[in-house]
Amino acid sequence: MNRISSIALASLLVVSLGAAAQTPGPAATAGSAARGKTTFFRVGCHQCHGGEAQGSPYSTAPKLGPAALPFAAFTLFTRKPRLQMPPYSPDILSDAELADIYAYVTSRAAPVALDKLPN
Amino acid sequence: MAREGILYQGAAGRDTCLPDLLAASGLARLLWGAYDAAMSQSDEVSKGRRSFLLQAAATGAAAAAATAAAAQAPTPPQGAASPDASPSASPSVSEVRSEGRPGSDYMVDVLKSLGFEYICANPGSSFRGLHESIINYGGNSRPELITCMHEESSVAMAHGYFKAEGTPLPVMAHGTVGIQHASMAVYNAWCDRVPVYLILGNTLDATMRQPGVEWVHSVQDAAALVRDFTKWDDSPVSLQHFGESAVRAYKMAMTPPSGPVVIVADTELQEQPIHSDRTLVIPKLTPPSPPQAESGAVTELARLLVEAEQPLFIADRLARTPAGLERLVELAELLQAGVVSTIPNLMPPVGAGRMNFPTRHPLNQTYRSNAAIAAADVIVGLEISNFFGATNIFIDQVERTTRPAIRPDAKLITLNSTDLIQKANYQDFQRYAAVNMALTGDGEATLPSLIEAVRRLLTDQRKSTFERRGKALAEASAAARERFRGDAALAWDASPITTARLAAEIWEQIRKEDWSLVSGGLSGWPVRLWDFTKHYQHLGVSGGSGIGYGAPAAIGAALANRKHGRLSVNIQNDGDLMYAPGVLWTAAHHRIPVLTIMNNNRAYHEEMMHIQRMSNRRNRGVDRAHIGNEIDNPGIDYAKLAQSMGWYAEGPISNPRDIGPALKRAIAVVKRGEPAMVDVMVQPR
Repeated sequence: MNRISSIALASLLVVSLGAAAQTPGPAATAGSAARGKTTFFRVGCHQCHGGEAQGSPYSTAPKLGPAALPFAAFTLFTRKPRLQMPPYSPDILSDAELADIYAYVTSRAAPVALDKLPN
Repeated sequence: MAREGILYQGAAGRDTCLPDLLAASGLARLLWGAYDAAMSQSDEVSKGRRSFLLQAAATGAAAAAATAAAAQAPTPPQGAASPDASPSASPSVSEVRSEGRPGSDYMVDVLKSLGFEYICANPGSSFRGLHESIINYGGNSRPELITCMHEESSVAMAHGYFKAEGTPLPVMAHGTVGIQHASMAVYNAWCDRVPVYLILGNTLDATMRQPGVEWVHSVQDAAALVRDFTKWDDSPVSLQHFGESAVRAYKMAMTPPSGPVVIVADTELQEQPIHSDRTLVIPKLTPPSPPQAESGAVTELARLLVEAEQPLFIADRLARTPAGLERLVELAELLQAGVVSTIPNLMPPVGAGRMNFPTRHPLNQTYRSNAAIAAADVIVGLEISNFFGATNIFIDQVERTTRPAIRPDAKLITLNSTDLIQKANYQDFQRYAAVNMALTGDGEATLPSLIEAVRRLLTDQRKSTFERRGKALAEASAAARERFRGDAALAWDASPITTARLAAEIWEQIRKEDWSLVSGGLSGWPVRLWDFTKHYQHLGVSGGSGIGYGAPAAIGAALANRKHGRLSVNIQNDGDLMYAPGVLWTAAHHRIPVLTIMNNNRAYHEEMMHIQRMSNRRNRGVDRAHIGNEIDNPGIDYAKLAQSMGWYAEGPISNPRDIGPALKRAIAVVKRGEPAMVDVMVQPR
């Protein structure tokens, strides 16, 4: 019933980041975090990355925020994922929507102090 | 010797329990004979359910041990008559049988000789004779009948029980509709190498079947349905045949590689009286010694390990017993080598099968398994089926591709017993892994000789190298663990609650208890945040990934944990529970204490992600991926569901600050010996 769905993305993200640094991308600052939240849930990002973009070790879907991933890399990986993530083409997720999502994930709250976690 | 046989008397003058005697002495060969005459001739004998002729003398110690155990057993109902009112009996046989004992009494004594504590069943007419003998003749003790509401639950309970206790728990089921219900759970047990012991009722003699239901509940070959994923089966045609095959089945099931077995209990054998002119023997069970890998290969493996710069162990279903964990720690520390293990739900599924290695041991590289695998020059897979998946990265895009996850010069070695038993149809053996050495033998049983071989090759120079390596591994492991703790601290106050926060809240409540995580991975957070040190603290995954395993396996494990006083913790997936929620009633009815925390994400989430993948590949968007996958509108009120079956239950909880107090209240209930549930609304992952 279950099938393997996901595998580590982190190492490929590093590769993507390297490539993206050479590639001009759309401006990210135009995005709206409020609209981005709606889109983030509508297109199912939260299913693997969590509602607060916190990531999950299960599918090793990486955390997306609040630490800022360069928008160019974010775009590249969303359009042409290298591993298990479904590809999001401009037909189903526009550049403007992607910028909104970026605004949402980078506006998430910082982690709480580690002393809140039991050891 | 008197015809009525010897009524076993312990020092206290009470009946001595056969299985205890067998367990204590390990040598008794018992003749189980001439019952009918004995029972009709002797009132004295009729008062005792265990009239045996003892062929081999039991030792004094054995008798004393048996007496002590027997003092705990309930006294069965007395009387010579067996209330067998079989509608399928021959018209020439009285409805109230007084001339002899039924065959199922012998079957019960065979089961008792194997030491079973419990037997699970959803009642069925094809094993009514055996059912009656268990509760009346056997006194409903060792085995005690556990009432289940689905055969899949029966088998999954047996599955979980074994992983907590290390001994099988038998299951009775119809040879037709019962095993059909149970088959998925049997498949899980097969994939997880768990020795589930199935007893199937069937009426082979067509002339003895009552017209109607008994015909549709009869089959030529009852075990055929599950033969592709069981280790062994038999359909005995006489009681002595049953006895020998039942003992053989136990031995086969427990010999590594372990697996499910099936014995068919024909209704005629169960219900007809034992022939007075036959002597029945209960064969002695000799526990098998597990197979070890060939000594030359072990020596060569030791050489490779000692000479390696970055050796790594990947352990999956290695630790069959607590000793397996201890030996792996010993070997890893001897070499200062890394270990990857115990990663429930991380894909590829490496190390999710058993608790092999303490999660916070400095050499545990599970938190950084990708890096550890990529760096290793010698990788040893210990009882891992998916070694290919552990050493390669599979990419599920439009064109499925694979690439190595290891160094080009890495030497790959496997030590496992899976090659000793493979079947063709079901493909649980995974993709073929091309390795440099393949050692065939039980991993746990081979570790002592491997440790000794490594010791013989150690030099001071290598020890110095090992020390430096171990220090580096410890630092890398600690850093990875801190990264995960940092990740867990993200979205701490989110609602729905993050899986990390829930794992942390549970850990806060249980960490000072003697706890056992009986089921549930919670996105892998417990193994990252909790301190697993004991064999029973992580019981692993289902094996076959057949949904519906979690709840019954957890309750089966909790049944085993009950007598040890452990706090059983079940992190329960919502979709899994709804396959057969009647197992909640079983837990309440039999007062099986278990703390269940609902991982309630209101979806078959794995499948949701698959539909997302399909939709986006086809450029159609994922807006409708929830269709067919969500468990919402209405959301299920799991607390009410549990309450309706006699559980203490709270929820749904959506504020993370409410989790801790709710868990405290639930744990108090569990400590009273009852099951309790806390339903928590969590994020999808």
